[in-house]
Amino acid sequence: MTAATLTHEEHADGHGEVDQLYAETRDMRLLGFLSFIATDMVLFSSFIFAYLYLRNTAQPWPPVGVHRLDVSFAALNSVVLFGSGATMHYALENWKHGKFHRYALFMLATIVLGAGFLAGQAYEYTHLIFDEKVTWAGSGIFGASFFTLTGMHGIHVSIGVIYLFVLFLQSVHGVYTKDKYFGLTAGTLYWHFVDVIWVLLFTIFYLI
Amino acid sequence: MSVAVAHGGGIADHIHPEPQSFVRKYIFSTDHKVIAVQYFVTALIFMVLGGSFAELMRIQLFNAQGHFVDNNTYNTLYSMHGSLMVWMVTIPLVTGFFGNYVMPLQIGARDVAFPWLNMISYWLFPVAGLMMLSSLLMGAPTAGWTEYPPISLDPTQVGVSMWAASVFLIGVSSTMTALNFTVTIVKMRAPGMTFTRMPLFVWAQLATNMIMLIATTALGVAVAALFLERQFGVSFFDPAKGGSPVLYQHMFWFYSHPAVYIIILPAFGIISEILPTFARKPIFGYRMIAFSSMAIALAGFMVWAHHLFTSGLAPYLQLPFMIITYIISVPTGVKIFSWLATLWGGKIRYTCSMMWAMSFLVLFTIGGITGMFLAAVPLDLHLHGSYFVVAHFHFVVGGGMILAAFAGFYYWWPKITGRLLNETLGKVGFWCFMIGILGTFVPMHWLGIEGMPRWVANYDPQFEMWNRVETVSSFFMVASVLLFVVNAVTSLYAGKKSGPNPWGARTLEWQIPSPPHYYNFKHIPTVYGLPYDFGQPLPYKGLEEELTDSPAPVPAGAH
Repeated sequence: MTAATLTHEEHADGHGEVDQLYAETRDMRLLGFLSFIATDMVLFSSFIFAYLYLRNTAQPWPPVGVHRLDVSFAALNSVVLFGSGATMHYALENWKHGKFHRYALFMLATIVLGAGFLAGQAYEYTHLIFDEKVTWAGSGIFGASFFTLTGMHGIHVSIGVIYLFVLFLQSVHGVYTKDKYFGLTAGTLYWHFVDVIWVLLFTIFYLI
Repeated sequence: MSVAVAHGGGIADHIHPEPQSFVRKYIFSTDHKVIAVQYFVTALIFMVLGGSFAELMRIQLFNAQGHFVDNNTYNTLYSMHGSLMVWMVTIPLVTGFFGNYVMPLQIGARDVAFPWLNMISYWLFPVAGLMMLSSLLMGAPTAGWTEYPPISLDPTQVGVSMWAASVFLIGVSSTMTALNFTVTIVKMRAPGMTFTRMPLFVWAQLATNMIMLIATTALGVAVAALFLERQFGVSFFDPAKGGSPVLYQHMFWFYSHPAVYIIILPAFGIISEILPTFARKPIFGYRMIAFSSMAIALAGFMVWAHHLFTSGLAPYLQLPFMIITYIISVPTGVKIFSWLATLWGGKIRYTCSMMWAMSFLVLFTIGGITGMFLAAVPLDLHLHGSYFVVAHFHFVVGGGMILAAFAGFYYWWPKITGRLLNETLGKVGFWCFMIGILGTFVPMHWLGIEGMPRWVANYDPQFEMWNRVETVSSFFMVASVLLFVVNAVTSLYAGKKSGPNPWGARTLEWQIPSPPHYYNFKHIPTVYGLPYDFGQPLPYKGLEEELTDSPAPVPAGAH
């Protein structure tokens, strides 16, 4: 995939018909990336189904020895993540309009907010594990579901932060132009996907 | 550097130079045709292994109280037989082999959308297969190909963790193939090939790959959770820690029921190509066959819990799952009747390929009807743990997908190798397989109804006579597969040259040389109609130079 697309972009210099070629490969990559996100969605959906199924069969809930999770801190952390979704949106919009400096500002803000969310999650994990003694393998189905799902989401956010940083470096080095920026589109889609997953996780773990 | 633009549709065209080194050409190739052959050879090796496990079971079952293998080994044998046959044979054959080889040719493309991803998909497959075999060496799994907890949570069966990792890996491979093929079919069809002009095999591949894209991740989650529970004590399925074994069954079957449609839909596609070609008639009900594939794909996601009727599924859920399962028989019936109408009044040529395809119609229909028995809750409660289920499953997969696969081997072999398979040897092999499959699986129906339980190494002596018939018959299938291997190997150097189009077929792959060039088409053709209108001129433009000595297209970067 990489080799083919790179060659296409190399060819893009000085060939009139290549714009159409580029449009087609970008189309393919977009559909491919959306398909990937669909499979990732199934990954989370399956674990969410498992959690809701187990929770539905378990009595009482939350299990004995587990306090309800701290909603206010997680809500604050959620605002950080959703804020990064907004800055990501503005980063891409500014790129489309050729405003590079504002793009760079919003992109860096996204990366910082994403890292902030991860720090918040690390704090929450530390608190749960050391103060409340709720662990992945030692707290029954609650610990299993909570740490598996939020941990998977955390890994997704970590990959996203690294991914966005690589995209940022690429854009600084002129890999993308005002018209050809599929990588940035993919990064934005991925980041919004991670946001949407957090809406679901926040709802099922903290609100209901 | 140049970018060639094909005449006709004006689609921007791009050709990469053919790799010259042996490794890039035959081992780490990105050419869909080479990858397809790699899938074929690998799957055939696993088929021989999976078949050997089945034969060891049949030898054990020859005597009602036999001692050929001990009970635990017997459990391992059926676990590995099922796991290998489902994940390492049938699914790689129908998507990795047939899909990879035929689909890009039929849509007039030079390769799949992401050739590198295709190569990685393939290379995960033998690795996953070897991991699955290695689980035999480390406390082998014994809970069947489904590996239900709590048996699969037994800490002494270390192999289950390896089994789970292997299934996860083959799931990743399947998902990448599905993503690749879906994008290829949606985005890379030749100009003029609208969705309703696609060959039916391509429709079947589209439906299959869409199922595979969505469902396979659910399997990955099920086995990943099993792995986590076994290795790290994270509780999902162990009732002692608050988990639920039935949850695993839900997650497993959410994939594994669609998986039988992943297996059977490409088989439907193969049959839809072969029947009109050898009946010399347009396919009957093109749109109905195409859309019924999509209907099956959609409905296939809503029936998984019919595997759980005996697992304590809430009664109010049993009826909906039973009804939706019945509904799936409607699009399937649409296909069967369309195929029969295609044959009706046709001038049928009884080639090997056609004989396998026609036997598919009979055996698959029987398997489908027994499926309706099992979908009925009251009957399923009686039949679920019995050999009736084994008979049903082997009629739809063995009598469905395997027969269609052999039909496809005989049909596309000349395209792949440029040589014909021997028809006489093929017909002997065909009749061997018919004796084998009918003799092995037909008696299982009444043995199951009379109450012979599956999953056990010893059984009541009153069933011994029919079990001996089954064991003897099963070796006819072995003979048939061996005959095919002999036929295939000898045809490579002694087979008659086939020419580009030995069957007079009309889909795009038959309009180019056999075997096709690296770049498939000299010019990407333009499509004007359906490929099934026998007696009419071909609905393609831009293929005039394919069978001439005109120069190959210039690869990018060659000058």
